[in-house]
Amino acid sequence: MLSILICVKQVPDTGRALFDLKTGSIDRASAENIVNPDDLHALETALSIRDTVGARITALSMGPPGAREALYEAAAYGADRCVLLCDPRFAGSDSLATSRALAAAIIKTGPFDLIITGREAIDGSTGHVGYQLSEILKIPLVTRIHAYNIEGRYITIERLYGHEYQKIRASLPLILSVGREDNRVRFLRLADIAVSSNTAIEELSMDDIGGREDEYGITGSPTVVVDTRKFNHTRSRESIEGGATEKARAIVQRLKKHGILQY
Amino acid sequence: MDLSLNGTQLMVRKAVRSFAREALEEWAGVLDRESRPLPSELTAEMGRINLWGIQAPREYGGADLDGISYTVAIEELSRVSAAVGLGVTVHNSVCLAPLLKFGTQDQLNRYAHELASGKKIGGFTVTEPQAGSDAASICTTAVRKGDRYIINGQKAFVTNGGTGDIFLVAATLDPKKKARGIAVFIMEKNMPGFEVGKVEDMMGVRGNMVSELYFNNVSVPAENILGRAEDGFRVCMQALDIGRIGIAAQALGIGMAAYEAAAGYAAERRQFGRPIGEFQGVAFKLAEMKTGLDAARLLIYRAAHLKDKGLPYSVESAMCKRYASSVAMEVCREALQVFGGYGYVKDLPVERYFRDAKITEIYEGTSEVMNIIIGNAIMKEFERM
Ligand SMILES: Cc1cc2nc3c(=O)[nH]c(=O)nc-3n(C[C@H](O)[C@H](O)[C@H](O)COP(=O)(O)OP(=O)(O)OC[C@H]3O[C@@H](n4cnc5c(N)ncnc54)[C@H](O)[C@@H]3O)c2cc1C
Repeated sequence: MLSILICVKQVPDTGRALFDLKTGSIDRASAENIVNPDDLHALETALSIRDTVGARITALSMGPPGAREALYEAAAYGADRCVLLCDPRFAGSDSLATSRALAAAIIKTGPFDLIITGREAIDGSTGHVGYQLSEILKIPLVTRIHAYNIEGRYITIERLYGHEYQKIRASLPLILSVGREDNRVRFLRLADIAVSSNTAIEELSMDDIGGREDEYGITGSPTVVVDTRKFNHTRSRESIEGGATEKARAIVQRLKKHGILQY
Repeated sequence: MDLSLNGTQLMVRKAVRSFAREALEEWAGVLDRESRPLPSELTAEMGRINLWGIQAPREYGGADLDGISYTVAIEELSRVSAAVGLGVTVHNSVCLAPLLKFGTQDQLNRYAHELASGKKIGGFTVTEPQAGSDAASICTTAVRKGDRYIINGQKAFVTNGGTGDIFLVAATLDPKKKARGIAVFIMEKNMPGFEVGKVEDMMGVRGNMVSELYFNNVSVPAENILGRAEDGFRVCMQALDIGRIGIAAQALGIGMAAYEAAAGYAAERRQFGRPIGEFQGVAFKLAEMKTGLDAARLLIYRAAHLKDKGLPYSVESAMCKRYASSVAMEVCREALQVFGGYGYVKDLPVERYFRDAKITEIYEGTSEVMNIIIGNAIMKEFERM
């Protein structure tokens, strides 16, 4: 049976959160914590693989003790095993230090045939972790998965990349990075919620995964936030006059001007 | 004392909220405009995620959740579609719940799984054209014939009547005995002589096929009596104690939808150079709405909590329904006012919330009947002193 690991992050619901423009940080009290939306799509990929070929799904989260809630939710969706990577020495980790810790925990709890991450987290939006895990673990990463089929130790993946459509065959183990275009997350069953709070959560500390203290947390993080600003995406509206042909021509001209139409 | 939702209850809220937004929202207006039920695929999906068996034991395919989670689920559904919230709460609280409470093992084997999984939809019917608030005056008769009963009569305003399959039906074994002559029968729509009458054309909750039912010599096996014969009135009253918490949660959901719409609009709509919410006349309306809704929510949670603990909750159930339904009406009235003319047209859902809210002051006992229950309890308490 396949063994799949999914990475799950608890994040503030930034869609509803308030930002403190002076400190550049999210006012955590203003928003509920949720499971990072892309990670639910990663979980959905794992669940549908399990539905078709059978698999054991491990959910791994790095975070404070409160991140257990995210793992309970993963359990409600159907994760078989939940691991919380939790240590004050991880506090302040940027994406690189996070990836180091996750990679060490994956080695410790693995091996896994598939590691699935969400494309990006809505709080930092770096989208780094999948790539960094790939680099550290020396396992290839595939993104933009449109369809897939698993046959033994191989997976055939159809992916849409820009204007290109690719069909590739890769051997396991593999890392997949999944976003919201890649699938539709099933709705939780209330019966599964009712029992999810009984799920045992394994806790790992830095001592369990190994490594030096200065590889993790703030000291292990090369990222420096220089400035945080609020962006307003303003749309401008323009109406084009004239007959249908003129209008179409005007639109094509504008699309070309912005490099959207190239031919 | 802890007034916050626990992890499970929060996850239920999140789960039902996303189902309601992602799957129901697009239907809410359609059901209302066309007065039609949900498509059957959605009803089936609601079964998969256990919405038809929220508190039923797992052995029957239910989710076995507590009463507070139940109210949270009904609130979230009703926020998006009061009509769907109605169908779900009636099925769960006045059909399945009394079946689980009073049913024999044989009855549970035959009906609990089908209902809790949503394969069959349930209803509960006492009201008749001439017997509304005075429920004990029903005329539908049940006459014993060997090991069966022959049922004759007419029922009015049956929620889920047009779409349901299994109904708890109150009938009288002896009209002279009034309340003490009533029995509750588990009846199936496909029993010969069971007919669905007119589906009502209603002001609100138009996505529920509330209908008349007619019984012409329907022969029902004696083992389909729920609880003891002649104890039916008590079965009905206890069913309604459970049911009213759900109706209160429905009212809360409608009120929340109207309040959030109004607050969002007040922050956006500008008149006299400012968002209208910056005028005290509008902000005070929002303040009243929020306060009333929170108070209603606490009354609802309290009633559900008492029920979960196995303590008496009949009066608390009446109080939460009494209060939440008038808060819902008041909130919808004021929310529509905040929207001005845009609240009055059908392009926005506020006028639907307004029409949907009214029924919560009527069914499962009118507000006056709630006051009778609460008032009787007060007099009992003080006359004892
Ligand atoms: C959409 C809808 C769905 C329904 N679903 C169901 C269902 O599934 N099952 C079911 O059995 N019934 C159902 N009903 C019926 C509902 O419960 C009754 O309409 C309600 O109980 C009131 O009865 P009535 O309409 O006959 O009004 P009446 O009892 O005639 O009351 C008329 C008015 O008189 C007042 N009144 C009556 N008696 C008193 C009193 N003693 N003191 C003070 N005021 C009094 C009432 O409060 C009301 O304002 C539904 C009704 C509707 C509209």
